[in-house]
Amino acid sequence: MDVRQYADLFLTESREHLTAFNQLLLEWERDPAATGAVGGIFRAVHTIKGMAATMGYAAVADLAHRVESLLDGVRRNERTANAALLDLLFRAADALERAVAEAVAGGDPAPGVAALLAELERETSVTPAAAPAPAREARPSAPVILPQTGPGKGRTVQVTIRPDAQLKGARALLVLRRAEGLGAVSAVTPAPVAFEQDGFDGRFSFRLDAEGANEAIARALAAVGDVAHVEFADEAAAAARAAAGEALRSRHIRVDLRRLDELMNLIGELVIARGRLHAIAARFAEPDLHDVNGQIARLAAALQSEIVAARMVPVWQVFDRFPRMVRDLARQMGKQVAFRVEGKDIELDRAILDEIAEPLVHLLRNAVDHGIEAAEDRVAKGKPAVGQLVLAALRERSSVAIKVSDDGRGISREKVLSRARQLGLLDAETALVGDEALFRLISRAGFSTAEKVTDVSGRGVGIDVVTTAMRALGGAMEVHFEEGKGSTFTLRLPATLAIVRALLTRVGDELYAMPLTHVAETFDAKPADVQKVQGREAVLLRGQLLPLVRLRQVLGAAAPAVPPRGQPVIVLELGERRTGVVVDALIGQQEIVVKSFEAPRGMLSVFSGATILGDGVPALILDAGGLV
Amino acid sequence: MGHRVLVCDDAIFMRTMIGDILAGAGYEVVGEAETGLQAVERYKELRPDLVTMDIVMPDMGGIEAVREIVKADADAKVLMCSAMGQQALVVEAIQAGAKDFVVKPFQPSRVLEAVQRVLG
Repeated sequence: MDVRQYADLFLTESREHLTAFNQLLLEWERDPAATGAVGGIFRAVHTIKGMAATMGYAAVADLAHRVESLLDGVRRNERTANAALLDLLFRAADALERAVAEAVAGGDPAPGVAALLAELERETSVTPAAAPAPAREARPSAPVILPQTGPGKGRTVQVTIRPDAQLKGARALLVLRRAEGLGAVSAVTPAPVAFEQDGFDGRFSFRLDAEGANEAIARALAAVGDVAHVEFADEAAAAARAAAGEALRSRHIRVDLRRLDELMNLIGELVIARGRLHAIAARFAEPDLHDVNGQIARLAAALQSEIVAARMVPVWQVFDRFPRMVRDLARQMGKQVAFRVEGKDIELDRAILDEIAEPLVHLLRNAVDHGIEAAEDRVAKGKPAVGQLVLAALRERSSVAIKVSDDGRGISREKVLSRARQLGLLDAETALVGDEALFRLISRAGFSTAEKVTDVSGRGVGIDVVTTAMRALGGAMEVHFEEGKGSTFTLRLPATLAIVRALLTRVGDELYAMPLTHVAETFDAKPADVQKVQGREAVLLRGQLLPLVRLRQVLGAAAPAVPPRGQPVIVLELGERRTGVVVDALIGQQEIVVKSFEAPRGMLSVFSGATILGDGVPALILDAGGLV
Repeated sequence: MGHRVLVCDDAIFMRTMIGDILAGAGYEVVGEAETGLQAVERYKELRPDLVTMDIVMPDMGGIEAVREIVKADADAKVLMCSAMGQQALVVEAIQAGAKDFVVKPFQPSRVLEAVQRVLG
């Protein structure tokens, strides 16, 4: 059997256990009396050990074994949980992670891993329980339910367990159990308690009072397995078995993500073809055609929802590594941060989740580095010394929102403005800048107000990285902040990529698709309702002023005569920002397949992709973030 | 006729591997459990011919699960899957009613031998 086929599974699962390891360590660090964490860590490490041994990854197995020994000392109250121990365990978690990656990649263990292994060896060898003992091994008081050892009737049986057998004592016990099934057993030598000792060599004897020929008894006992000899006088019996097997299906399969992507592409094409069929069928009054068209539509929809579901993963798959990261960052920066994660079970398309990991790292780093103040500064401002940092996922209408909020210093208007002037983005006189404009400034490439460049953040790349990533995903980001009180960054994302519901609109002869993710409603604006406010067009909608953007203008098309009955307006909503987009006509809602889009530089920033509609006509996909 | 097997281990990796070894030899893996508690429930529900049981699992370990399973079915055939150095635990499992054991890292031939012995 080639174990390499299991390498991916090993890697994935080891990482999950390492994430659990880290999380439980954090829990333990918060509450050193929480013994539940110790048990959980023990299990995680133990599982990694077993898997690594099976894969033949000795370095990983060794490391895991040492950690297990260390934890065992804690479980037996021979070692107390102190900062030094936790620190060692944190480093062990890191080393295990490296060792796992290196083992799978086929490389040699890094020097750091070897050093830590040596440290763990030193640690575990100075425990009162000298030898590194695996889990709960010493159990002298374990009840051993076995027959009396004393002179008895019957014949003397001498059994030798194969020298290469594993757990000879346990095997010997199985032989005894089998013997008990044959007749009364007595005079077991050595006594069964000795079976569990390390020195047990696999040879033992007993008296057996049973019917039957020696050969039959020898056969019965040898059938327990790993028995080298069963002797009565000079007789010996041996048994060996071979395993035969025919190939049969396995119950699990794992699928390469690229396969899933390709499948999604194909289903996308199918959805397009279905749309065309639908359009063609509408031209004929043939009941059979409509039947089969309806059936294909239902099947395609079912297929699509299956594949979309197969692509969905809970956000914890990415979120779970953040607590450890935030802890390390906070330590490094000398900050006190309480980090909380909410909505871990919310699901997102795997591809989206992968893409937002880095932006989230960015936002969390920013929050720890720039947002949350040093403890003494916080106290001086009358805030609790420990800063709060929350990462939350929330399901909204047709999107998922991910929020990163902190109760730190917020964004300093003064600093942003002075930095903007310094960079020549703002003239010296402009003093009054709204939150919106301020946000736009922060979002510009290369904008950072960090006073000094740190290892953590403030390297001149900042929020623009996040906004760019959001746009590529058809999502958007908004920021809320209050100077001195904190900031909240909200990422709004479609729950799935690839196929989204969109509102089709027309401007001139061209069709455009607006994903419903950010569409709040549509209405007709009569020319008389449009007013000018601060030089911008706006309409009053239910008592609230809604700024208008004319898609014709954005696209550089000539303005047509406005029909007196009004023009359709799509209301886009990004958090609390609302904008009305004026189009020539609304066509209707449709599912569209998003095609990757290599936008040439300098192209209008209002498109996020392209699609092909049911009738084969291409349409550009509008980006709400670029219009609002 | 393929015997019906319930595979209990908290690692998907191990379940997959054991499942593959057994399926490759014509056994039918009818269920899986990742905790001791699940193992007991699934045993009662599926009544498999054989159970492979990991020792260290969350929510009731393997030994306790063996006890519960044997309580529910005195003829239950449980094969313990142990790591090296767990002799005392394996002994405890045998006393609880486990019929045999294999030691990780698994060699398919050893696993199949043990399975055949237990079912034999």
